[in-house]
Amino acid sequence: MADDVRALTAALARDPSSLAYAELAESLRRRGQRDEALRVALHGLARHPQHADGHDVLARIYSDLGDLDRAQLAWSKVLELAPEHPGALKGVAFVRFRQGDARAATEALERALAIDPDDEAAQRALETMRRDAPVADLPTAELPAAELPTPGTPVPAPDAGAGPAAQAGAARGAGVRARPPVFSGFDRATADILLLDERGLVLAGGLASPSGGDVSELAAAGLAGVSGEATRTAQHLALGGWRTIVAEAESANLVVAPVGPGALLLVRRDRSMPVGLALRFAERARGTASAWLEGQGA
Amino acid sequence: MSEELARALDRISRVRGMRGSMWVSADDGLPVAQLLMEGVPGRAVAALAASLVRKVSGSAGAVGAGRVRFVQMEAAGGTLLVAPAPPDLLVVALADGRVNVGLARLEMMRAAAALAR
Repeated sequence: MADDVRALTAALARDPSSLAYAELAESLRRRGQRDEALRVALHGLARHPQHADGHDVLARIYSDLGDLDRAQLAWSKVLELAPEHPGALKGVAFVRFRQGDARAATEALERALAIDPDDEAAQRALETMRRDAPVADLPTAELPAAELPTPGTPVPAPDAGAGPAAQAGAARGAGVRARPPVFSGFDRATADILLLDERGLVLAGGLASPSGGDVSELAAAGLAGVSGEATRTAQHLALGGWRTIVAEAESANLVVAPVGPGALLLVRRDRSMPVGLALRFAERARGTASAWLEGQGA
Repeated sequence: MSEELARALDRISRVRGMRGSMWVSADDGLPVAQLLMEGVPGRAVAALAASLVRKVSGSAGAVGAGRVRFVQMEAAGGTLLVAPAPPDLLVVALADGRVNVGLARLEMMRAAAALAR
């Protein structure tokens, strides 16, 4: 047992009514002991139902557990008790962002920055959103998850593979970051093919905006929500595992497909490519991605 | 209006492999009209389809693909098809693995376009 957990546990044993439960729950959460953290937080909140920081920790635990609805409720409770709680404001932004409500996420971040203009995490998140997806243009776009971690969660490092950036040469891919060249040989390999994990973090490939900017993280964050929704839909309707989602949109066709457990592929093709062909292209990319992941031991 | 909606569902339901089709309110995911085989959970299909399309539309917007016109989710045991019918409805169909997706898509897009007119 780490020293901090041991000390906090001892403090709580000496005084069960202590507010140290929140700190203990947070320490356990950071160590990945989520169930234990949840137990401590709920127990503490039973004694201190008006303790804003306790509800804040509870929200982070729920968020770590993937239960965004409960996380949202807990952060809402924090803001009832402490309307200027910066952690809760960032938490609400995170949840709103994952739910596809960029406007609400932005508002929450702006409130957090109004309270603490030096909050670097909130600054980065807001800057990224404004740079990659102006809210007025993309009302349902989502913030990159990496910029909006639940408080206390390490910010995932940008994918910095050894591969060359945007070698496709197409202007639209020119601004995409260097990532593992998994799809080299595919048309628009770093501008229209994106591999991500189930948490919405980019693994390989890339996605460029029409102006050439890298929107990979933005897209990945949004797609994680799509994957969860597809899984839920297939389960509820007893359809078995879902294989592909094809979305025909005004200016492009999108194919989304799971790649083994825990990874997801997005292929964007111009509307001029028939859907059937886009599906075959995506199937080939999925095979390549699957082989690469296996090679990574993933 | 209701006759027009019903006729569209009838045409969609004639496609081989179709288990049911519905008009769904896009905002709240509630069925507006439906033609379902026995055992198909209409309310669940409506709610889940609306939610899925919202998510997909959000992502399509984020990647610059624009407004979504048709969504198909293929699973091991069937296919869910959705065509948004602006301003506020969705045409939703649930089919088994034998479905002719191309034909179903044509009927659904036609229904959505007719409603928009």
